[in-house]
Amino acid sequence: MNNAKKAIFAAIGKALPAPASAPAIAAELTQLRARIDATRPERVSGPPDEVFLDRVQSPGVAASAERIGSLNDLPAAVMRYAAQHDLALNIALQPHPNLEALNWSGLQTRDHVGTDETLAVGLALGGIAETGSLVFHSSPESPTLFAFLPLHHIVAVSYKNIWPWMEDYVRAFTGAPPPRNVNLVTGASGTTDIEGTLVRGAHGPGWLHVVMVGPPTD
Amino acid sequence: MNAFHGRVTAALADATLKIAIDRTTNTARAKRAAAIAAWPEFAQARVLGRDIKDHVIANMEYYLNQFETNAKKTGAKIHWARTGQEACEIVVGICKAANAKTVTRSKSMLGEEIGLPHALEAAGIERVETDLAEHIIQLAHEKPSHIIWPALHKTREQVGDLFRANHTDPGALETVEQMVNSARRNLREKFMAADVGISGANFLIADTGAICTVTNEGNAELTTTPPRVHIVTAGIEKLVPSMVEAMTMLRLLVRSATGAELTQYTTFHAGPKRTGDVDGPEEFHIVLVDAGRTTMLAEGLAEMLRCLRCGACMNHCVVYRQIGGHAYGATYPGPMGSVITPSLDGLEKSQDLPRACTLNGQCQEVCPVAIPLPKLIRGWRTKAWVQGYEPVYTAWALRIWEFLALRPALYQIASNMALRVMPVFAKGGWIAKMPLAGGWTRYRDMPRPQAATFLAQYKKRQAAK
Amino acid sequence: MKNNPPRVALFATCLVDAMRPQIGFAALALLEQVNCVVEVPMGQTCCGQPALNSGDQDGTRKIAKQNIKLLAGFDHVVVPSGSCAATIKKDYPDLFEADPVWHAKAVDLANRTYELLSYMSDIWAWRPKDVSCAATATYHDSCSGLRSLNVQAQPRKMLAGVAGLEMRPLEGANVCCGFGGTFCVKYPDISNAIVGEKAAAINATGADLLLGGDLGCLMNMAGKLHRDGSKVRAFHTAEILAGMGDGLAIGETA
Repeated sequence: MNNAKKAIFAAIGKALPAPASAPAIAAELTQLRARIDATRPERVSGPPDEVFLDRVQSPGVAASAERIGSLNDLPAAVMRYAAQHDLALNIALQPHPNLEALNWSGLQTRDHVGTDETLAVGLALGGIAETGSLVFHSSPESPTLFAFLPLHHIVAVSYKNIWPWMEDYVRAFTGAPPPRNVNLVTGASGTTDIEGTLVRGAHGPGWLHVVMVGPPTD
Repeated sequence: MNAFHGRVTAALADATLKIAIDRTTNTARAKRAAAIAAWPEFAQARVLGRDIKDHVIANMEYYLNQFETNAKKTGAKIHWARTGQEACEIVVGICKAANAKTVTRSKSMLGEEIGLPHALEAAGIERVETDLAEHIIQLAHEKPSHIIWPALHKTREQVGDLFRANHTDPGALETVEQMVNSARRNLREKFMAADVGISGANFLIADTGAICTVTNEGNAELTTTPPRVHIVTAGIEKLVPSMVEAMTMLRLLVRSATGAELTQYTTFHAGPKRTGDVDGPEEFHIVLVDAGRTTMLAEGLAEMLRCLRCGACMNHCVVYRQIGGHAYGATYPGPMGSVITPSLDGLEKSQDLPRACTLNGQCQEVCPVAIPLPKLIRGWRTKAWVQGYEPVYTAWALRIWEFLALRPALYQIASNMALRVMPVFAKGGWIAKMPLAGGWTRYRDMPRPQAATFLAQYKKRQAAK
Repeated sequence: MKNNPPRVALFATCLVDAMRPQIGFAALALLEQVNCVVEVPMGQTCCGQPALNSGDQDGTRKIAKQNIKLLAGFDHVVVPSGSCAATIKKDYPDLFEADPVWHAKAVDLANRTYELLSYMSDIWAWRPKDVSCAATATYHDSCSGLRSLNVQAQPRKMLAGVAGLEMRPLEGANVCCGFGGTFCVKYPDISNAIVGEKAAAINATGADLLLGGDLGCLMNMAGKLHRDGSKVRAFHTAEILAGMGDGLAIGETA
């Protein structure tokens, strides 16, 4: 133990002279955890994918969203989006095998994201219905900067991977070694730093478009 | 006149400052109120949040060890700093070892607290503040005036002027959108060119060794991902047992700070770049900083270590909303600052902060972790009284009054005498000026008292019965 | 409760005693309407709050002991001020945490102590009968009563029963007026800025009367309103409820 750590721990020990045992700490923590579910916002009552799409488009999150039948429909959705926003058919494509396997003819694609990228297309690990957040785990197939550098970010997410509450996402990965980055992305970048006025596109994307992949279709 | 009074006088005379404070804090209060109203479970969550933080603080050694062990497993390098100065030396040392010319910094109140901006500059390292508000105050050579909106004291007109003078090709700067876009363009290359990125941490996750940052702009990730080195400075009180508890704290923090349900970017960072990663830092350092926290723990301020730095207490503080953040003359303004600052800077120097408070309790009411701020503020007043810092005039006035209050008969005689004198100064029902009452009558009239004391009148009435 | 009807001590508070005895008489009138046997213990001075908030705990403890002795034996102790009642109810027990004997006595007193308006409403469900006041009024919630004692609905419920009185909501009714006890004389400039905003909100209601439950806050607001030439008149809520609303408001002379 280095000197600074030793000194800090000595100071803690002096302030808290009777440390609890590890089992006692664990027991207290278990009791605290048992109280969490009762405090979650009740609102998530419908099917998680539908609640998620509602939240994503709610005024607080303010992303746009659509649903497609299968991942194969993603390139067409990207082309529609580009046409709608008057963007070149030239995209940074997250190097995920499921995306790379799609037919991107008609679009120029790159597997890296540039500093002033206009449009990037990615695949999220999943989503959280409670908050309308997309979940990314960084990996060679999911570089972190894809979610931060482009001006427009289109993100596909499977309807099967929507967790109702934030804790449900966490519990799905409890015990696994943590990824280098977990990024929860909830809407486009924004700032209220000048007079509390919300402006989108501060440093990260100014536009976030969520494409939900898979049922329901009625 | 002491320094605090001087700053207060200047702040109260600054009409532009008041406009700026109102524009942001009024919005913040309204948005928070709406977010809390939409979360019926808030009251219960607040108690849980308090208990989680208390649990971690009571078992700090256990959780710090757990965090350190797990963070090392992710490849993070852990450093410990007893003081702010030690922390700055560690950070500057890492920068120098990495041969860093420029560093980007994502807003961290701990960084401000320990004087990191200054330490970097003194070491000749170019510092680029990436949070929009920190960017604004860096250009203005000022300090933050709020812990969530550091540039809260600036109106949009003032920001426009600053950007016009400092930005390359700012374009038109009439609207806030144009200002944000100009900052985006001007900071873009700097994100990518930095050698080191420095962030704070909102939470330290003990069971994984990850650290959590929250931003709405996305500047934290752009600060921590492209450079070769990411340095985290974090107070040792920032622990939570696991990500599950972090979620409870995030719900409380974000709603209390901005009224949103979650920040746009909520990121958990665990260690450096892994095999095959195309981005991410090669080195990942975490500097765990005490800087007075263990002293607070020992001196009866453990409850203050719950603080999530949401800023709700200052948005709701009648004093902060009149004088703004700079008048406090410290890193942390408002109610939470009035508790922390005497511990960090010494009570003698900052004795005015706990005293300049009406103890109205709204800060405690809105605090997402139920910190009893008025009680802690009063605790500092008790220390100030015991240590003899109370100004001589008020201390003696209080002693004389206590002497009388403990002698009811004498108290009545003195009161009734005073009541006979006071009308001399009255004009009609009001007194506009009276010796020894300048503090009151400078701005307010004092009602002329009604003849004799209540007790004297009551006694007379009973006798007549 | 030992006695029926209860034996009640009126603790008038030092401000009411010196500055506006009429509030004490209004309180007596109200308590007599619910058939309490009211006494005004002559040994009372102040609850000790100025000392407590200045950090003088030893001085406060001496005053607290004096009051604990003075108020022993009463079924209820009623205080026409949320702030002073909160000092007795909340702070006295805290002050004696290290002294089991006095702590027990302080807790006993705390359990018997009530703020006047909540006492009338919560304990007696009292509503005004044949009380009228032809005016518009707005109500400011004083902070201690509101946050320490939950006094909020009670005064409004009782005022709703006053014939001819039209209540108007006050923007920021739950925001501090800037009084803060000794704060207002130690930091008069800040206090003035705060009460200036409060006065503007009061004027904006267009009400004839400002009502509240704490004389300190009322004096602060009324004093500012008068200095700035406002026509708004201020009364303690108890005065209106006791039918004294046709009399002189704070700072008025015959």
